[in-house]
Amino acid sequence: MKLLAKYNRVNLITTIVVMLITGIIYYQAISWILTNQNDKDLVVEEQEVFDYVKLNHQLPQTFQSDDQQITFTEAPPGSVKREFINTIYFKKVEEDDKPEKHRHHHHHEYEAGRGLVSSVTVGNQYYKILIVESKVETEDLIQLIFTITICVILLLLVTLVVTNRLILNRIWQPFYSIMKELRGFNIADTKEIPQVETTTDEFKELNKTVVDMAARAKLDYKDLKIFTENASHELLTPIAVINSKLDTLIQTENFSPQQSKLLNDLYGAVSRLNRLNQSLLLLVKIENRLLHEQQQINLKELTEEMIGQFEEIFQDKDIQLNYNLDDKEIYASHYLLEILLSNLINNAIRHNYRAGSINITLTVQSLIIQNTGESVPLAEEKIFTRFHKSSKSEGSGLGLTICRQICENFNYTLNYSYQNSYHTFTITF
Amino acid sequence: MKILIIEDEEGLRESIEEYFTEDGNICETAHNYQVALSKVNLYRYDCILLDITLPDGSGMDVLKIIKENNYPDGVLIISAKNSLDDRLDGLNLGADDYLVKPFHLSELKARVTAIIRRKTFGGSNQLVFNEITIDLLSKEVKVGKQPIKFTRKEYALLLYFLANKGKVVSKNAIAEHLWGDGIDMANNFDFIYSHIKNIRKKLMEAGCKDYIQAAYGMGYKFID
Repeated sequence: MKLLAKYNRVNLITTIVVMLITGIIYYQAISWILTNQNDKDLVVEEQEVFDYVKLNHQLPQTFQSDDQQITFTEAPPGSVKREFINTIYFKKVEEDDKPEKHRHHHHHEYEAGRGLVSSVTVGNQYYKILIVESKVETEDLIQLIFTITICVILLLLVTLVVTNRLILNRIWQPFYSIMKELRGFNIADTKEIPQVETTTDEFKELNKTVVDMAARAKLDYKDLKIFTENASHELLTPIAVINSKLDTLIQTENFSPQQSKLLNDLYGAVSRLNRLNQSLLLLVKIENRLLHEQQQINLKELTEEMIGQFEEIFQDKDIQLNYNLDDKEIYASHYLLEILLSNLINNAIRHNYRAGSINITLTVQSLIIQNTGESVPLAEEKIFTRFHKSSKSEGSGLGLTICRQICENFNYTLNYSYQNSYHTFTITF
Repeated sequence: MKILIIEDEEGLRESIEEYFTEDGNICETAHNYQVALSKVNLYRYDCILLDITLPDGSGMDVLKIIKENNYPDGVLIISAKNSLDDRLDGLNLGADDYLVKPFHLSELKARVTAIIRRKTFGGSNQLVFNEITIDLLSKEVKVGKQPIKFTRKEYALLLYFLANKGKVVSKNAIAEHLWGDGIDMANNFDFIYSHIKNIRKKLMEAGCKDYIQAAYGMGYKFID
């Protein structure tokens, strides 16, 4: 749920609740004030009746007015308690100006009324006085006030929602910009996260934190890369010494078969160590984009050349090589492409079985290298990670990582799939 | 031939010295920039093996001095830095070759031999060993007057052996020489065997004696 929606929901609910409560209080207050006003009128009327009785010693003429009715009824003395009541006011409507819809009221309209029950003694007769006043105007007033209040509430809500949407969207704009930058953040990239223009303190802070964090991450990453490079470089010298000492050692004569085997194993191990180290160095260099000498390359020719390099191995393993190469010119580093191709072809041979086959297809869009091998598809997400290799493999475990890195370097994609019992590596240009 | 080894790493310097001296060459060594500079200014060498990173200076400066003074010495840079820029810098400054550490001594020997051959023989590009004559330009091999057809790799291997004659050359070194160290041939040493078998066969069919010996399963040795 978006922050805006969340905020709007909370806002809406509280606004409605507060408005309703206010509305109720408002209604009660106004209705109390107006009823009070009615009561005062009634008391004035009562007083008039009393005054009239005092002066004339008889009941006043009951007269009909639009909004007041007085009735006197005889009652046993002392039986009437003075009180204000809510009652119904019968309104007589003239036949002529009676509206159509009121016809069924039989000349009368019922309206809410406020009454005062009182008593008066004229001579020896005790009378109950009932003064009823129409409350219709009061009710109308309250209704009007209530309608206005509801309208105001609605208007307020609509304004709130609209302005929130507009303003919040604009206010949150820096946040979205920062998000976008973060999403595009690449630790290996040299591009910095730019400062986002904002006057909001929180976003300034966020932006600053993000920029700082990115810079720190980059610095750490750079340190790590420098460390890797330095470590690999430092390893070169001892490896060179071991290598040269081994070369010197085998010049001395008379080795027993056991010693020869040990020396052979040593050679193999050093050679592996060296390749591993070279691969690490190469990876760092590619990631740092230190190998940028690029040139126009005829990929068809280069592929043919690489195939030539492996010719004897194809023959030796009885591997059937089918290739179909279209002309394809690319602009890339010759050195890296050679590594890419030789790694892929080498893998295709290494993980093949005797008398298997390899297909190499070069089109304008892609280069596809397929090989037979174990009939189990490889896990695509794993094979490109560093030091992932099959238990039988004697490679460095960096070959495919390097391949993918090289492809990324030139904005190609390298994918693996298993098609018709062929392990398929596809470079899409 | 006379060789100067400028290398600060003692183990490596000693191995190179030993490997080259056995052959009857004269080897001198320098372990830092100052010693290197004084030797370079005093004596002439057929080939100088030059390490770029020295404790008190850069091998590149030694190279500059050699070239500024028009010393005719061949220069082979041995560097731990496998960057194209360094390689180009070195070659642009006039180095004859550039070898990246770690390397096999046999590879170093082959490179040095090639440099000296180019320097010494000038226009003549004939390499003669007993009855074998190799034309380095046309890449033709003759035994006596009889031309022998070698494949590209067999030819390269023969030259490699000739440069390292009398030495045991390891299979690793051969593989790296023929396929480059970018290609992992660890599982594929059989090819070396088949290449060598072919070379031996071709040479012996042409009337040579068996020059190539297997050495303890580790490598091969070209003997006189």
